[in-house]
Amino acid sequence: MTPIITVRNLTKTFKVFHDHKGYFGALRNLFDRKFKLIEAVYQINFTITAGELVGYIGPNGAGKSTTIKMLTGLLVPTSGELRVNGYIPWKDRRKYVKYIGAVFGQRTTLWWDLPVCDSLNLIKHIYEIEETQFRKNLGIFREILDLDTFMETPVRSLSLGQRMRADLCAALLHDPTLVFLDEPTIGLDVVAKQRIRDFIQFINQEKHTTILLTTHDISDVAKLCERVIIIDLGKILFDGKLETLLKTFGGRRLLSVDFAEAYLKPVLENAEIISIQGSKVLYSFERDVVSASNLINQLSTKYRILDLEVHDQPIEDTIREIYEKQLLYNQPHAEKNFTS
Amino acid sequence: MQRNLTLLHRLINIQIRSQLQYPFSFFMEILGSALIQSFFFISFALVIVRFEEIGGWNLGEVAFIWGMTEFSFGLMDMIFSGFDYDYFGPLIRLGRFDQLLLRPVNITLQVLGSRFVLRRIGKIFQGAVIFLFGLSQVGVNWTPLRIIYIPILIISQVLFFGSLFIIGATTTFWTMERLEILNIFTYGGSEIMSYPMHIFPRAIRLIFTYIVPAIFLSYFPAVFILEKTDPLNAPRIVSFIAPLVSLILLWIALRFWRYGIKNYQSSGS
Amino acid sequence: MKSFFAIVRVSFRRQLTYRAANLSGLATNLMFGFFRAAVLVALYQDRANVNGLSIQGAITYAGLTQALIGFLSFFNWYEMMHSVYDGQVGSDLLKPQNFFFYWLGIDSGRAFGSFLIRSLPLFLVFSLFFEIVSPQTLLQGLAFTVSLILSHLISFGWRFLVNLAAFWTPNALGIGRFAFGLSWTFSGFFFPLALFPEWLARFSRATPFGASVYIPIEVCLNISQGTELIQGLFIQVFWALALLLVDHIILSLGIRKLVIQGG
Repeated sequence: MTPIITVRNLTKTFKVFHDHKGYFGALRNLFDRKFKLIEAVYQINFTITAGELVGYIGPNGAGKSTTIKMLTGLLVPTSGELRVNGYIPWKDRRKYVKYIGAVFGQRTTLWWDLPVCDSLNLIKHIYEIEETQFRKNLGIFREILDLDTFMETPVRSLSLGQRMRADLCAALLHDPTLVFLDEPTIGLDVVAKQRIRDFIQFINQEKHTTILLTTHDISDVAKLCERVIIIDLGKILFDGKLETLLKTFGGRRLLSVDFAEAYLKPVLENAEIISIQGSKVLYSFERDVVSASNLINQLSTKYRILDLEVHDQPIEDTIREIYEKQLLYNQPHAEKNFTS
Repeated sequence: MQRNLTLLHRLINIQIRSQLQYPFSFFMEILGSALIQSFFFISFALVIVRFEEIGGWNLGEVAFIWGMTEFSFGLMDMIFSGFDYDYFGPLIRLGRFDQLLLRPVNITLQVLGSRFVLRRIGKIFQGAVIFLFGLSQVGVNWTPLRIIYIPILIISQVLFFGSLFIIGATTTFWTMERLEILNIFTYGGSEIMSYPMHIFPRAIRLIFTYIVPAIFLSYFPAVFILEKTDPLNAPRIVSFIAPLVSLILLWIALRFWRYGIKNYQSSGS
Repeated sequence: MKSFFAIVRVSFRRQLTYRAANLSGLATNLMFGFFRAAVLVALYQDRANVNGLSIQGAITYAGLTQALIGFLSFFNWYEMMHSVYDGQVGSDLLKPQNFFFYWLGIDSGRAFGSFLIRSLPLFLVFSLFFEIVSPQTLLQGLAFTVSLILSHLISFGWRFLVNLAAFWTPNALGIGRFAFGLSWTFSGFFFPLALFPEWLARFSRATPFGASVYIPIEVCLNISQGTELIQGLFIQVFWALALLLVDHIILSLGIRKLVIQGG
């Protein structure tokens, strides 16, 4: 399988200036600038092969956007090797950019005052898309993304969901081999999110477009990505199957019980009460410490139950724990990659 | 090159179309702005009646350079509006400049095409009227050199002001603060160029000769065309170097601009 | 009344925080002051006095007009308009203060702050370069202060009126540009009214624009004294009150329209 993104010992260090304050601060800044060095990204390594759908996640300030900026050619690395699609992004910008697409959840790539159709037409000319290819792609995207309802509307009047769909269409019209999606479902309702996710999956499967997804929405990652890369404090903490990550850390399970009566303190050994609502109680327990059957036995001997349910801890909580408790740092091989 | 120009043409067309959406209100705005702009000159014209002349130049002669400067500045402002500090600053601050970098098109072209203010036609028209008024008042000895120099001078002035705009926009890569002081060179420069420059104190003249070479774009050429005596006693050749000066300044501006983009890519936003 | 001064105080403090960008702005204003002074000196040549305005007075005028720009928000002020367009006006109208006085409070704080950090330093530095004319007597100085306050009220009254257009049209910005342009033409900002033909000078001084820019200048330059001084202040008071009245009427019409028709 051909690697499409190769990252070797990539580092980006920023100089952050401390500005002098006060009335003459601006003047003093001209002569004496204090600064400190920040390693936003430090010696990261990974390889992405063509056709993959990879999630690139990490807490705020982890170095995600710095990495993406280097990958898209917006930022020049301080050191290390970076090859995407055979190009060095920042060096061969104009040529390189023809083969990638990018969607940023926070801002639009389209022209604010123009109707969507005019924006898309401009895209056609900017990327020199052939008429037949343009029509074909537009036709497909119009249908899947349901763009017809707002094709003539100026971009500034679109709702967030509509704008996202228009941006996605615009980013893919020129059949890029690689697409960067940054927060593509942010602020959207459940139905809209699903529609975007379906589209992303469609693009990846039908067109074999490589997709790098950066998001805070873990369910996006769970539903779309087999492989996930976690970055924090500028270093890669994990690179592998999401499954593996959850097996290692997603040990917590939840047990919800519907009691026959409202017990005051329905305590169970090795299980923690999360919430009590009348006769409904939610427990959480560690998979390694106690088994579900053990707990069910305890329940049946001590209390009268109407119904119960066992499920795994939601992925969001697992990931959040990993960030907060820096679980990956406690692992013996925290600094290396987990590859699977 | 051909493709780039077509794209630029397209971008500009789109803006013109959207600005002409309400033709009546647009026309009213132009009329209004042309009227208002002309009041500065009309005030001057009414005032100079008491004095008959300023620095040895009469109203017609002042109108000649005043009108030409307004015309050129308006033309520049229409074309180079993408580099207008007030517009480009927010472009950088809001991260929209990244969008431009992600497209397979020349950056300078994209910035040029990002804003085309048709409304400036008001200033251009007003400048032309004042210039033509000046022409009608002065008796120019029309040699072929003088005739051909006028459009060359106008183009040079447009490039001159455009360069200043480009330099101003480039500074936003380094400072998020609004550098009002740059207005001295653009708007101040155009105001100074509207008068015969020898009336200004030496310090100001030096700034606009050696730092921002405005004097070569307006005063000296006008001295030649209008056959005025030059109390500064400059060598005759300086009247003809306007195109050279503007091209050099443009070259400097574009190099600075390229440098600014490179720096932006190394230091992030 | 207390809440009014509270608003003024907050806005004043906010204006004071714009210190950093200020130095650059001060230099710009100073330069333009030099330009305008140089043009007037060139016009005057050897004349010591033209129509009651001495050459020193003309130079002082060049500095004063620059100093007044920030104080009177002379070139643009579209804040109220923007609040209508982005919907902020809704919550503003729900505040217990009278809408007009709310904005007057904000603008007054801004004006006073701008006066302290911009107008005053600018004029002081300007006076280091030139021999300037200033109020000769305490009474004249007092009258100048009063005149400046009235100028601010007139300027606000006009700017507020212009911004009111936002209640009726989405294109109020275009109207605003034109209206501001109009205010520059008859204000005596480009050239001293004393140098204009008599009929134009008289007309301009009678407009709210000339009243807010040129009348205080005349007081500062000691040109306007005695009965003339009283007359000038009277014109200012007239315009301040007239604009206040018109603003109130149009504002209530605007609010009614807003409430009935929605945003």
